[in-house]
Amino acid sequence: MHSLVEPNAWIALKLPSGNTRILQIIPNTTVSLGKYGSFPSNLIIHRPYHLTYELQDKKPPETFNRLRIVPAAELYSDILSSSDSSNSPDEATPAPDGDDADIPLPTGVEYTLVDPESGAVVATTDRAELNAEARQTLTMEEIEELKKDATDAGKDLIAKLMLSHTAIDQKTEYSLAKYKLLKTRKYIRRFSVLPLDVAQLDYWLLEDKDPAKILDMREEMVALLGCWANVHFGGEDHCDSESPNEEGIESVPNPKQTPGRWLVVDDTGGLLVAAMAERMGILYPVKSKHLLEGPQRPRSPKARRREPPVQPIMTTTTDSHVPTHPAHQPIVAEDNPDVEPESQENDLSKPRSPQASRKPLGEAKQRSNDLQIPYAHANTLTVIHPNSQPNLSFLRYYDFDITNPTHTPTHPLTRHLMTLSWLQLLEPQLDSTYSSEAPNATPEELRSWKANRRGTYHRKRRRWARTHHVIDSARGGGFSGLVVSSTMDPISVMRHCVPLLAGGAPIAIYSQAIEPLTALADCYSIARRGAWVASPPGELAGCSLEEQEHWAGNDEFPLNPALVLGASIQTSRVRRWQVLPGRTHPLMTSKGGAEGYVFTGWRVKPAEGKVEARGKKRSKKRKVEEGQTQGQGEGGK
Amino acid sequence: METYKVSPFLDPGSLTTPDTLSIVHLSRDNIQPVYLQDTTGAVNGYAEGAVINTRFGSFPHSTLINKPWGSQIRASIVDTGSRGRKRKLEAIAADIAAEDTPDDGTGEDASSAGPTKDVKTAASGFIHILPPTPEVWTTSLPHRTQVVYTPDYSYILHRIRARPGMHIIEAGAGSGSFTHASARAVYNGYPTNGGEKKGKVWSFEFNEDRYKKMQEEIKSHLLEGLVQITHRDVYNDGFLVDGESPEADCVFLDLPAPWRALPHLSRRRPTPSQLASAGLEPLNGEESEWKSPLRSDRSVYICTFSPCIEQVTKTIDTMRRLGWMEIEMVEVAHRRINVMRERIGYNMPTERGANQSAGNVEEAVARLKEVERRFKEFNKGRPGATDANMDEDEEMLDEGDLVNGNASRVREAEGLEDTPSTKPWMVGRLIHRTEAEIKTHTSYLVFAILPQEWSEEQEAAAYETWPCGKESKVIGSLNKEARKQEKREMLEGKKRKKGPGGNKADGNHDSDQKNI
Ligand SMILES: C[S@@+](CC[C@H](N)C(=O)[O-])C[C@H]1O[C@@H](n2cnc3c(N)ncnc32)[C@H](O)[C@@H]1O
Repeated sequence: MHSLVEPNAWIALKLPSGNTRILQIIPNTTVSLGKYGSFPSNLIIHRPYHLTYELQDKKPPETFNRLRIVPAAELYSDILSSSDSSNSPDEATPAPDGDDADIPLPTGVEYTLVDPESGAVVATTDRAELNAEARQTLTMEEIEELKKDATDAGKDLIAKLMLSHTAIDQKTEYSLAKYKLLKTRKYIRRFSVLPLDVAQLDYWLLEDKDPAKILDMREEMVALLGCWANVHFGGEDHCDSESPNEEGIESVPNPKQTPGRWLVVDDTGGLLVAAMAERMGILYPVKSKHLLEGPQRPRSPKARRREPPVQPIMTTTTDSHVPTHPAHQPIVAEDNPDVEPESQENDLSKPRSPQASRKPLGEAKQRSNDLQIPYAHANTLTVIHPNSQPNLSFLRYYDFDITNPTHTPTHPLTRHLMTLSWLQLLEPQLDSTYSSEAPNATPEELRSWKANRRGTYHRKRRRWARTHHVIDSARGGGFSGLVVSSTMDPISVMRHCVPLLAGGAPIAIYSQAIEPLTALADCYSIARRGAWVASPPGELAGCSLEEQEHWAGNDEFPLNPALVLGASIQTSRVRRWQVLPGRTHPLMTSKGGAEGYVFTGWRVKPAEGKVEARGKKRSKKRKVEEGQTQGQGEGGK
Repeated sequence: METYKVSPFLDPGSLTTPDTLSIVHLSRDNIQPVYLQDTTGAVNGYAEGAVINTRFGSFPHSTLINKPWGSQIRASIVDTGSRGRKRKLEAIAADIAAEDTPDDGTGEDASSAGPTKDVKTAASGFIHILPPTPEVWTTSLPHRTQVVYTPDYSYILHRIRARPGMHIIEAGAGSGSFTHASARAVYNGYPTNGGEKKGKVWSFEFNEDRYKKMQEEIKSHLLEGLVQITHRDVYNDGFLVDGESPEADCVFLDLPAPWRALPHLSRRRPTPSQLASAGLEPLNGEESEWKSPLRSDRSVYICTFSPCIEQVTKTIDTMRRLGWMEIEMVEVAHRRINVMRERIGYNMPTERGANQSAGNVEEAVARLKEVERRFKEFNKGRPGATDANMDEDEEMLDEGDLVNGNASRVREAEGLEDTPSTKPWMVGRLIHRTEAEIKTHTSYLVFAILPQEWSEEQEAAAYETWPCGKESKVIGSLNKEARKQEKREMLEGKKRKKGPGGNKADGNHDSDQKNI
């Protein structure tokens, strides 16, 4: 995983401004970096990640710009020399530190130098400004000239522009370094290629794209959710349910092992699901081994001429170290020329996973066995969604299309991700597929139908089986944990999800604002729990524990407070620093927005009957704590 | 080849089982690890076998075994009288004396051979029993060093991409807090005969006691095969284990001088001048062939964890000299938040935690008027009504009652009653505040990435496979001119009706395209 940049991979380009851009690296295209220039995509395919490149000038007769790998020694030379001889001022700072320095350029101005502290414009290439500035020595023509031949990747331009602005001479060394920092970012034609894993996707969505779409969920929050919900690789199916099972009956999993199954509510467009899938090892399609061997692989001369005819072949194995599992090999032969879609060049309208054009795996086989469950038992995610279809569109960056999972039969998510709506979960009898009988036709009928109709029939049967399995297994409960990042009221989510959790299962809920979570925590306050034990709601008299678990709640007890232990709320935020010789300090600015909070707790199983608390009486001094909902003086209320 | 029992950290099963780690939850800040023992016969003088004593009651292990995880367990009536007086004192001294004997089995005195006594449930008291996770372990583990807590380790593991199947180097192991969290992160099954490489933690600790303790813990937590701890001074002796490379994908250094360990984490032997410039000694074993502990065909992610800024400066300086990229330093500010009901007002129930002062201006004015009215009324009936001197024996409403918030007296006097519909736990405004004490600084986190090496031969081969010069489309961000041109072409294409595919560049997802 993420060894070399694969053709058609989604990647992040980190630009000199510190901004990132996401794009799919399609072979034989030109990647434009806007004002920084452009280069052929083939120059980064099958190359390592995290190298810093510099755009070279075109070397006629070549019609494209080549890239140069900037060695670390060169990247850091200025910083290191300044730390070696302490009195020479710092030169360029190569590692953009994320400081928000990318000030939008006014129209007509190509380059502007801005003092980051005061926001004052120090120098600009705008003609009017230049003319007005009597001491300005560089003409517009000169600048244009410089930009055209941009020798040495624009460094000259910077130098001249710096010199031309005599005011800079009067600045202190300290602020001079600041100006240079900005300018360097603006001009140097350097960039690096980063893998679009979940951390990078989150970073980009937050910083450059649209934080609202992911409820402002920062990496800190994603990380806390995953840990507190204990999301990890949840084991393998012990009985291989992939092997065709003629009766279509699922074998019972080993009862001693509890398969890792997590319940998810995701209103972040799939970012949360992607993050959890990453933790479980089911997010990335693992490339076949020969691709990892890289470009040294011997090739036929024919293949060498055009782009390689090899498409990434995916397996469901989770481990980048693991060689391809033979059972998961797609039926398409490696050298099948059809694998390389001819349409590549003219159908570029949507990002497409390499096998998007393939037929579902082993269609013939599936026909005889429509009712076989196409899902794994262990290591699964079950997503409950508010609309009739889930919105998990960000998964497409991982070659998975939730609206068409059968098109990626070997993607691990195809077998490990299940989705159902709240209606399907709570009132499945109202779901038309669920409430109907499985379509059933006699072999004679089948034979009499046209291929088209037969296809529909099989599709319907498969969908029926899928729907039944997803709904029944979700309603069956026993989940290993609950992770939520939603705009819905967490109390309503908990009311229906807590009973579906296994005893001891952790709960982790993200919210942009704290209020929904304080309201939730208040449902489990000490006072409320005490009152529940002392005098439970009259309507529950004579109810079994099971019935009490599914109780709908009332005003006084919105939730059964005995089902959750350790309700608490936390928040976390990182602060980034600039570390430079003699100039180490936290960044001056960073993103605001939603603070973000995480609620955690455990699903517990109350004992039958009335359970009195015991413990030392609290002294008066602990008055304040007494009022808290989270004192959790459990046994000793 | 060994077969492994799955660690309760990774799959606890659905019921508690004997001889595996369980977590007893007494209160939010009192969580205890316990190895449940299935004993027949008395232990430590308890006829009931091993017993956990807490201030919430006594809990024989037999009442905790084979229960669904998360079960609430009632306290039992345990006869402590028959036990030695000394032991009893010990048990009281410790808030919870988990009288479970250590897992090595020593110290167990199953002297009386008879069957375990039947256990009677006590009238009150309970605990909950939870499966172990790195999060609860971190709060309950025996501290031998400073440990890395959940807010830091969750973020670190996320940033260094510790994922199923990865190999992670960790030094020093310390108390094993990070070890457990990273074992869970990289776990993708136990090693099998097939020789498939599975996720693994390569842990290093140079303090012998801690090393030994960790080794025991790994064993008793069933993490063997997933965590390998090596007794090592990594500054001097690096990270190879039995001469072999861990082939690490990611690295976490929680050491006093991470920069001294960094040279060993190189792809090729650092040059003497590189080391000298960083103020470091030459490495041991200069003669032998260099073997990197890092995985060669992938970028390696690192995090170092240091409390002081001087450590950070040195670490980053060394990282720059050794070619690490994307160097970034952050600190994590984490807060737990308490939620409570704020009860302010004259008509709040007279409970602890309620503040019986005026809840708003109207309430204050109403109360003042009332006082004024009574005062007048009281004096009206008296001769010399204007005389401010009052008979001290006179039973009257003292203003002090109001001021001091003796509300019940006021209420009685006023005939006020709580509206019976509002339950005490629903009264007052729901508020929150940061916990009483916060950790304002744990450590500075330095992150960096070491890309794989890329030779000119590799580059030449890649170039031959992926030749340039026949680019058909522009992707990525376009400058204004190119964008205009594209638009023109697209419009023309539309006019011509369904040309061969759109001209819109694929994969263009820069910020001006909001269609995700
Ligand atoms: C702060 S503790 C680590 C705590 C650990 N991260 C945790 O979460 O529990 C630092 C540990 O590094 C060990 N250590 C210090 N120098 C070392 C060296 N040169 N090689 C190996 N371990 C070392 C110390 O003995 C100590 O146990």
